[in-house]
Amino acid sequence: MLKRLVNRQCISLHRSYSTAPKPTLQLVAELRKLTETSISKAREALSATNNDVSAALSWLQNDLAESGAKKAAKVQGRVAKEGLIGVCILSGGTGHSSGLGGIRAAMVELNCETDFVGRNELFGKLVSDIAHTAAYISEPVDSEKLFAPCPLDILNDSPLLPSDASRHDPYQSSISTAIRDTIAKVGENISLRRAITFIKDPFPPSSPYGLRVANYVHGAVSADLSQGRMSSLVAVGLKSTNLGALLQSKDFRTDLGVLERSVARQIVGMGAQTIRSDSSNESTSDALYAQPFMMYPQSPEGASVEDVLRIWGREHGLEGGEEPGVEIVDFVRWQVGEHIEPS
Amino acid sequence: MLRSPHAFLKNTTWSTNPSLVSSRAFFSTRTAQAHRPSWSSTSRRNALAHASRRHYAEAAGKFSRDKPHMNIGTIGHVDHGKTTLTAAITKILAQKGGAKFTDYSQIDKAPEEKARGITINSSHVEYETDSRHYGHIDCPGHADYIKNMITGAAQMDGAIIVVSATDGQMPQTREHLLLARQVGIKKLVVFVNKVDQIDDPEMLELVDMEMRELLSTYNFDGDETPIITGSALAALEGRDKEIGADKIEALVKACDEWLDLPARDLEKPFLMPVEDVFSISGRGTVATGRVERGSAIKGNEVEIIGLGSTLKTTLTGIEMFHKELDRGEAGDNMGALLRGVKREQIKRGQVIAQPGSIKAVKKFQAQVYVLTKDEGGRYTPFMSNYRPQLFLRTADITVGLSFPEGTPDPEEKMVMPGDNVELVCDLVHDVAAEVGSRFTLREGGKTVGTGLVTKIL
Ligand SMILES: Nc1nc2c(ncn2[C@@H]2O[C@H](COP(=O)(O)OP(=O)(O)O)[C@@H](O)[C@H]2O)c(=O)[nH]1
Ligand SMILES: [Mg+2]
Repeated sequence: MLKRLVNRQCISLHRSYSTAPKPTLQLVAELRKLTETSISKAREALSATNNDVSAALSWLQNDLAESGAKKAAKVQGRVAKEGLIGVCILSGGTGHSSGLGGIRAAMVELNCETDFVGRNELFGKLVSDIAHTAAYISEPVDSEKLFAPCPLDILNDSPLLPSDASRHDPYQSSISTAIRDTIAKVGENISLRRAITFIKDPFPPSSPYGLRVANYVHGAVSADLSQGRMSSLVAVGLKSTNLGALLQSKDFRTDLGVLERSVARQIVGMGAQTIRSDSSNESTSDALYAQPFMMYPQSPEGASVEDVLRIWGREHGLEGGEEPGVEIVDFVRWQVGEHIEPS
Repeated sequence: MLRSPHAFLKNTTWSTNPSLVSSRAFFSTRTAQAHRPSWSSTSRRNALAHASRRHYAEAAGKFSRDKPHMNIGTIGHVDHGKTTLTAAITKILAQKGGAKFTDYSQIDKAPEEKARGITINSSHVEYETDSRHYGHIDCPGHADYIKNMITGAAQMDGAIIVVSATDGQMPQTREHLLLARQVGIKKLVVFVNKVDQIDDPEMLELVDMEMRELLSTYNFDGDETPIITGSALAALEGRDKEIGADKIEALVKACDEWLDLPARDLEKPFLMPVEDVFSISGRGTVATGRVERGSAIKGNEVEIIGLGSTLKTTLTGIEMFHKELDRGEAGDNMGALLRGVKREQIKRGQVIAQPGSIKAVKKFQAQVYVLTKDEGGRYTPFMSNYRPQLFLRTADITVGLSFPEGTPDPEEKMVMPGDNVELVCDLVHDVAAEVGSRFTLREGGKTVGTGLVTKIL
């Protein structure tokens, strides 16, 4: 490989006396390694900048706005129903060590055309950065609903805030720019389909109420388990007069974590649509509380989710009075590409 | 030799034994037909059954079945020209009588096909060169290629990576090579397409150089892999012969010369799964089954393997149809007369094999596809320690499924219908198996999964 390069290089240098600004293979290769830009673009950049790699880099960045937009326009009509759902939880709520007890979480779906691109690192990082941005920039909303759709135009225009600060790219001014740049690199249509956030300020320390976020992602394609093909985001409510004391116990928190993750998994695995079934003659299989709690490791034979939650609360000393000690307040369940027509 | 089951049932030398005549084994065995592990008879039938394959059926008479067969696929970025290339290959080879021309629109659709009850999106074409017969698939996604591998519908023995000369390799070319590795492909051929759009031939060298480097990174032979540069569109449109038709011929030649044929069943060591066992008075114990691979002759040493015992013995007789023969081979339904073996010493689920060629195993790792409810599979997920029945050849064994060592939080992991997943299979009895053995998982009479052994533990 090196030999090839060196040989090539000699010939190129030789030739470069007669045809002055012609970029050498080595420079094109170098530029491609740095940017993952196409061969023809890399050459254009070097020709335009007299073979100065750093100048070519800025040329490419400036050009991306135009050529990336062109590429994006070209692929825009193509069906994108593969991709990933990504979740970012910056702060998990009452009793979590992070974030002083408030909740700051987001879930996003980014689509592409093939599962090859869906498995690519560039795409995975983009998903995780968009989820991070959504969780970071959103404000609590005053509404009955805990989960709020994050308006896509606002999200698209907002600066991309990488989950790993070392990835910060000063050129990528916004999420839409970052998406456009990725389209230019992978050549597939990519679109941000939906985003929701769950943002709540903490309850006062003396409050008998607690609120936490639970989540399960299914079908991860990399080591990053916060993104995959299906996901749930769950609001878990706690009530007890001595909630503060209970949450001090490490065992309590561990058990609660197992319970919450089981509920989140149950929602993904058993396809729950609602928490309770509203009428008695309706099929109960879509109602989370009526389902046998198959995803909870210690579930007694045949016990429903509702049964297990009640028993769990009692056994763990949650005193809700009239209200349940632990309950599922709301949830969402997403699957990549659901309800997108094939073409 | 008569090869109809009716003739067999009428004339078999054992027909005096009523249990044999009524046995499941012989009603289930059809005409002896060579079993290909790869482009298996099932998928070929599927392909033929499909409406769009009728053209092939009409032309099928022309293909010679004597040439060695292998399956290849085209992998590459959308738009780099996989479909155009596939159409171009059939066009160029059709001119020599080795294919039925399949135009772009017929290939582009990637119809849904069923293999072992599993839905896979893939387009098939077939063609032959002077020395080989190829089955060629083009799938839209990673998951489709994996399903093809697990079911064995169109296990790829090699692949053509298509890269456009204008773009060069893409970020996801890595995922393409990883896939090729995962499905067990050892050698690739690269087609650098769209050279008609390149003004400076020097840039082709860059594509070449980068591809070789990347191939080496993913453990392919970067130095020796053939890279053909041409234009699939030119070939398809019948213009610019030097970059069109000529390059398609060069590509096909490179496939013939560089890609290795899979070992033929007949050349492998003898193995026959035991379907049924009889004792015939005056003669001894006979095990019947269809020879999966290899051949055996009277007097060969064999091993009876699996289900808790291994026994060495001698094949004292081979019987097929109404004849007593000296030799049985892959595809034959035969009865094996075994020296000194009592009826209770051998049973359905074991195999009779060339000694030392295969071992009985109790635990292995496998790539498993879990059927969706639309495919007739489970409605609900399962977790670690799920215990369905595992069917491998004629064996039916209870298996405990768990996650491979190193899986984070295995007790909290679930498998959903539609998943492709690596699982550890822990059998209650041992069974003859090796890397590449295929099996199905069943529960309550329905198939819930299908798998491929990837590692013996
Ligand atoms: N100029 C040129 N265009 C080509 C060539 N091969 C394919 N194309 C075009 O590239 C586009 C994508 O080709 P296609 O075969 O559908 O790519 P696939 O997505 O990889 O199957 C189509 O518009 C083709 O006509 C070629 O050799 N030269
Ligand atoms: Mg195509």
